[in-house]
Amino acid sequence: MENREKIIEIANKYRWEIGENIHDAILESIYSSASNITSKVVNKIGEKSKFNWDKWIDKIVTGKLTGFPIMFVMLAIVFWITISGANYPSKFLSWILIDNIHPYLKSLALSLSFPNWIVGLSIDGAYLATAWVVSVMLPPMAIFFPLFTLLEDFGYLPRVAFNMDFLYKKVGAHGKQALTMTMGFGCNAAGVVATRIIDSPRERLLAIITNNFSLCNGRWPTQILIATIFIGGAVPNYLAGIASSAAVVFIALLGVTFSLIVSYFLSNTVLKGEASSFALELPPYRPPRILQTIYTSLIDRTLIVLWRAIVFAAPAGIVIWLVSNITINNISLAEYFINWTNPFGFFIGLNGVILLAYIIAIPANEIVIPTVLMLTVLTNKLSGYGSGAGVMFELDSIQQTEYLLRAGGWTLLTGVNLMLFSLLHNPCSTTIYSIYKETRSLKWTMISTLLPILMGFTICFLVATFWRAL
Amino acid sequence: MIYIFLLIIILMAIVLLQQSSFIKNRNKNYQKRLVEDSLKHIYDCEHKKIDSTSLSLSGSLSLSKEKTTKLIQSMLQKHLIKTSGNKLSLTDEGKNYALQVIRIHRLWEKFLAENTSVQEYDWHKIAEIEEHKTSIENANKIAAQLGNPFVDPHGDPIPNEKGELIFQETVSLNEVKENNFVKVEHIEDEPKEIYQRIFGYGIFVGSILLVKKKSDEKIFLELNGKEISLSIVEADNINVSYVTDFISEDVIPLTSLNIDESGIISFISNGIRGQQRRRLLDFGILPNTEITARMKSINNDPTAYEVRGTLIALRKNQSDLIFIKKKEV
Amino acid sequence: MKDINKDCVNCPAHNINNLVKLGVDMKNFDFVVALAGNPNVGKSTVFNALTGLKQHTGNWPGKTVGRAEGAFMYNNKRYKIVDLPGTYSLLSTSVDEEIARDFILFGQPDVTIIVVDASTLERNLNLTLQVLEITDRAVLCLNLIDEAERHNLKIDDRLLSKELGIPVIPCAARQGIGIPELLKSIHQVANREFICKPYRMTNTTKNISKAVEDLNDRLKKEFPKLSNTRWIALRLLEGDQSIIDAIKTGEIGNLTIPENEN
Repeated sequence: MENREKIIEIANKYRWEIGENIHDAILESIYSSASNITSKVVNKIGEKSKFNWDKWIDKIVTGKLTGFPIMFVMLAIVFWITISGANYPSKFLSWILIDNIHPYLKSLALSLSFPNWIVGLSIDGAYLATAWVVSVMLPPMAIFFPLFTLLEDFGYLPRVAFNMDFLYKKVGAHGKQALTMTMGFGCNAAGVVATRIIDSPRERLLAIITNNFSLCNGRWPTQILIATIFIGGAVPNYLAGIASSAAVVFIALLGVTFSLIVSYFLSNTVLKGEASSFALELPPYRPPRILQTIYTSLIDRTLIVLWRAIVFAAPAGIVIWLVSNITINNISLAEYFINWTNPFGFFIGLNGVILLAYIIAIPANEIVIPTVLMLTVLTNKLSGYGSGAGVMFELDSIQQTEYLLRAGGWTLLTGVNLMLFSLLHNPCSTTIYSIYKETRSLKWTMISTLLPILMGFTICFLVATFWRAL
Repeated sequence: MIYIFLLIIILMAIVLLQQSSFIKNRNKNYQKRLVEDSLKHIYDCEHKKIDSTSLSLSGSLSLSKEKTTKLIQSMLQKHLIKTSGNKLSLTDEGKNYALQVIRIHRLWEKFLAENTSVQEYDWHKIAEIEEHKTSIENANKIAAQLGNPFVDPHGDPIPNEKGELIFQETVSLNEVKENNFVKVEHIEDEPKEIYQRIFGYGIFVGSILLVKKKSDEKIFLELNGKEISLSIVEADNINVSYVTDFISEDVIPLTSLNIDESGIISFISNGIRGQQRRRLLDFGILPNTEITARMKSINNDPTAYEVRGTLIALRKNQSDLIFIKKKEV
Repeated sequence: MKDINKDCVNCPAHNINNLVKLGVDMKNFDFVVALAGNPNVGKSTVFNALTGLKQHTGNWPGKTVGRAEGAFMYNNKRYKIVDLPGTYSLLSTSVDEEIARDFILFGQPDVTIIVVDASTLERNLNLTLQVLEITDRAVLCLNLIDEAERHNLKIDDRLLSKELGIPVIPCAARQGIGIPELLKSIHQVANREFICKPYRMTNTTKNISKAVEDLNDRLKKEFPKLSNTRWIALRLLEGDQSIIDAIKTGEIGNLTIPENEN
């Protein structure tokens, strides 16, 4: 025992004599051994080949004129493949899980004479919400993540961080935040987990908190649907397509702007400090291994995120069914809530249906629109749509959806504000859970959750007020 | 409506929870803080061999006479200090306590310097607050995480757990004769304005300076191949030790390399510390290494450098602090 | 299981107690193999090539989540393989580096495979040399050898093996090239058919080597069975708390390998 203490004491004495540079000295000695060995065993045969692919690619993807266009084209291609490619498998899954299995389960349960409320709770509630989340979430993620991983394996993503760093440096963040933000376009939960690539805790926290400002996969369809109905409907027919896509792109860019503004704000207040270490390795380009990438990213990213979503979807489905089916004096809880919150909803240019939908559809942004439609039918006593209280549905034709929403009292302002609110609201429960897991801090989880929603309320209120004043 | 209502309730609950414990502890914490700051003041005076009195204490804490007297009474009761005439001095217990607070303060400064991106001039401010809040166990944890450091980023010794500390022999920069190489050992962090100006010149603890010329108001120095001049007041806040085995070289910062130009790294300034420095060393960016600028990002920052066969992108604020000898083509 | 206890030369070297503490279940396994390497050197590919993709690697961009585990059989021996986070060094204070270092130091894997990128060997030798300071039992997987050849680099793997004192296997894990040889080397090192004589650094500055020598002597006296005392001494000089604690508790004395016991 004494000897051991003595050893440590002596070590401390030496430490004082050697001073603080010991780490430098040790690494210098390691590297001098390394270069010594390398010079013995590595031989360069012939001249270095005249044409260097890596340099050539780097010149183009980081070029002053070519860098940015290539980045945007790449991003656009990834999204185009994701959205158009996910369409068919999504329809297929929804055909199986929602159009076939759901009625089958229901009739089976009824034929076994289960009580109505059990059928409603488990099949219309839990099962349907889960089935919905799986069918709308799985295909786009199964396409987006492998594509993203392929770009990463190829070596392109570090170059994106290199190109974008000047923006992030200005707001006190790390260039790699560009990557986690892009990942967030696919799924915020995955984006939050991906912030592990950022070494320093402060910059990582910035990336986590602002990830929700990336419009995720679950919100694109909402944006597109609402833009098509309300923005497209507000301009002459021949401009409808352009105007509605421009609106969606504008919202996405607005999200990017907000993520930068919030980063700037945070790094000048609570998370004070200057972006510290930025030593970014730009690895050599390598042809990606397509099959393996698809396999691993499917297993690792898609299934993990999907699992987290399902865990939250089933209970939320139960809540959705309960609030629409528990009635007091023949009026459902949902209607009470909606009537009660309508004034506030009006105040910020939305309505009670939207507010309720965003609360109970917290597991996934994908089920917001089906919930909105169901609640609209429920509160306006519209007949001929959907299959009963608490059963989410979607309509095949945009015209019908439009008719339904307008019958629910929606205007252009509601549409615009829903698009804004869809960008600026609390992250879905999967993301909140991931934020907690990554930060291990209730405080930061709360901030990441509340900050966007407060911003959403403020901005929707401002838009509504100005709109009505004009 | 209920939505925002719920959120407000949650927010208020958090604030209230923090507030209630805050108010309860506030008075206690305030007293603790006063005691600790007084002990630090008396320790400081003893170290500088000047007398500390009730007057100097009330000045240093900006506290009224009556409150100071009350404070001294309570510290006497706790056997932290003793008085002889006007003069205040620490008991052994008080000295240990003072050293403990100093240890926590300096560990915090070291932590802020090494592991966070908080700016130099904020270290002291934050450490002043944290020194009263950090428990000894947590201080030990910080120490362990930092590899049990001996010196804080200003060059002041950090007492160990037992309160022992080692002082280094240094001289004021003003006392150094012309044509001597010196190593910066300590930079006084107060007053803040002067401190800010000193690191604005690029002088850090560990920097090597050559004293070239001295006049009545100014001292002319060479730092990293550049000539700078300091006022006597500024130089008075810098303590140095002599270095003998230093060879002066013509160095330029890495930033001044154009694309496809190469240099040999001469040294990395001590302005890069902690994690940042370790990361660079891990990449093999260290003295006597060849480094070539390869490409600049849009806006010219960051720049990618080729080192030992790999491309590493560095921001300008880092490459400004890496010094090289340019390789002639 | 039969021949394991026949003579201690074939004993597994790993530290069962510490492995359990580190969360590795060694039931049903004969040997444990650690996989170390820099990021971006194809470590996951090697892992998959060895385990036949039966286990997923848990890769989020750039980083292995925690630790991935896999398994393979070779010559009727069951190997558990643990994929450590990709790191550039074991000396800094990041969490990943601590995980990797603690596993190699305290878990004492029977073999540590160091995966390096052949075309940037020098940079990769930083981690390699650090690993060799800690453990005696390692195999170097000279991965991406095809890429190095494309860059007109020829690497004398036999000379490198002699320099480092451990088996060096040129691989192109992506194409499966070199994997059978790698498996064979793992087997040889695990079963003590190949005795490593790892490279140990000597060229530090004068006052550091003086301190290291002194501490080394003292550590050897206190912990006669400890093999990597020089490295422990260096860690003490860097004020590494986990090493200080391990010395105070004497736990470090348990980190011995069987062959030294006799």
